Amino acid sequence: MVEAMSEEPFDAIVAAHHGEIYRFLRRTTGRVSDADDLSQETFLRAFRAYPSLPPDANVRAWLFAIATNLCRNHFRSEKRRRKALAVVEADGRGAEAGGPEGETLFNEARSRVEAMVSRLPVKQRLAFTLRKLHDQDYETVGRMLDCSAESARAHVFQAFRKIRGLLNGEDLARAEARR
Amino acid sequence: MRELPQGCQEIQDDLLAAAVAEAGPQAFHRVQAHVGRCAPCRGEFERYRAIDRAVGALRREPPGTELDRARAGLEVRLADLRSRLLTYRIFDSPLGRILIGRTEQGVSLVRYLGSRGGLGLVRAAGVEAVADGAELERFSRELLEYLEGKRTRFEWPIDLRLARSDFHRTVLEAAARIPYGAVTSYANLAREVGRPAAVRAVAQALRKNPVPIVIPCHRVVGASGDLTGYAGNKIALKQRLLAVEGVPAVRTERDFRVLREAMYVTAPGEEAYCRPTCCSLPSVSLAWLTLFASRECAEACGLRPCTSCRPDRHPISR
Repeated sequence: MVEAMSEEPFDAIVAAHHGEIYRFLRRTTGRVSDADDLSQETFLRAFRAYPSLPPDANVRAWLFAIATNLCRNHFRSEKRRRKALAVVEADGRGAEAGGPEGETLFNEARSRVEAMVSRLPVKQRLAFTLRKLHDQDYETVGRMLDCSAESARAHVFQAFRKIRGLLNGEDLARAEARR
Repeated sequence: MRELPQGCQEIQDDLLAAAVAEAGPQAFHRVQAHVGRCAPCRGEFERYRAIDRAVGALRREPPGTELDRARAGLEVRLADLRSRLLTYRIFDSPLGRILIGRTEQGVSLVRYLGSRGGLGLVRAAGVEAVADGAELERFSRELLEYLEGKRTRFEWPIDLRLARSDFHRTVLEAAARIPYGAVTSYANLAREVGRPAAVRAVAQALRKNPVPIVIPCHRVVGASGDLTGYAGNKIALKQRLLAVEGVPAVRTERDFRVLREAMYVTAPGEEAYCRPTCCSLPSVSLAWLTLFASRECAEACGLRPCTSCRPDRHPISR
């Protein structure tokens, strides 16, 4: 009668999803220390709520919802937001050297896109990251951001337009062609 | 911003959608046809395609060591939380409100709340308490079944970390082995755990039992048959739990007394059970006997009827 529980299913959830949630938060906060804190907080919250999670729930979407929520709270403070941007921009400028010219240009373009993403308003950035880098469908993204699927899609498209406006698209296309 | 011809203007949304793989097949064909004949829009399409590919490249970026470090930090905090987290549920029972709590390891807390709110007590135990949990529904239901006499055992994982010492844990584990419908004495339990002189310490360990009912400390009574104490001053609760299991008891001036003369009996190490008057009973101290409410309870523990007093042929009549 006196025995230990045989399995700890939450460990499997951490193993399966921690990497992706961490990357998501690294992308959306732009800071290693924020990604550390928020990914820990995501899983600690998930652990507390896990016993009451319905057995048929989509665990991955549930974790993304917690992380997204934490991220939004995190950025409610405008001051913090500005600090994060300053850091990402500094990162973005430090593009790596070497390699064939096309490759370098493309890497540069990639890190510039990354820097552009980090400059988007929070909702657009979250919608864009969830959809384009973590393959969440618009219904799910909408639920996480308290808006409709249509608005979520509009956020993502608006993000593309902003990136297009901020970047010199010509360079990007040319860099690609020369790879 | 340059002014676009109307045909171009109308297709801009589809053009973006098609370039970033978000368009349906019809829109995609429309865009293909349009960019085939419109060079500026073809350029625009290619720029969005390039952005989308750069975004695709971001996906492959592995954060490497910083991820490992974050994971290690998480494991430390999770381990700490696991050791403190208690999920609980409060439900009504014939004995009043009961709180049942569990950790990842198992059920760690059963508390009679009476009319008072009991959460303060849980917090005081140095744990982080979280309401509900689907599995606790089963535990509370099984507890109610027990109180209605419809269940004789709990197949639950138990977490005894809330016990106050290793000695307390040992006593509680020994009490957990007392079968349904049986009673034994504090002295016998002290003998069981190898500390025959520590009768009072055994009583104290049972008094601090964090999981009453589940670990049936109510099945331990005084050597004389007096119930002597339960969960502070809840002696009447002890009598009710014993009554659920069919153990006969009578009210005395300040207490209840188990009717030893109306119960079957066995001695430590024996394989048979007897009528209380059996002459073959070894000459052990009365305190070391285990008493059974019924033949069924005794036989459920693998004991057979004594061949000398034949409790099977001459059951005790009440």
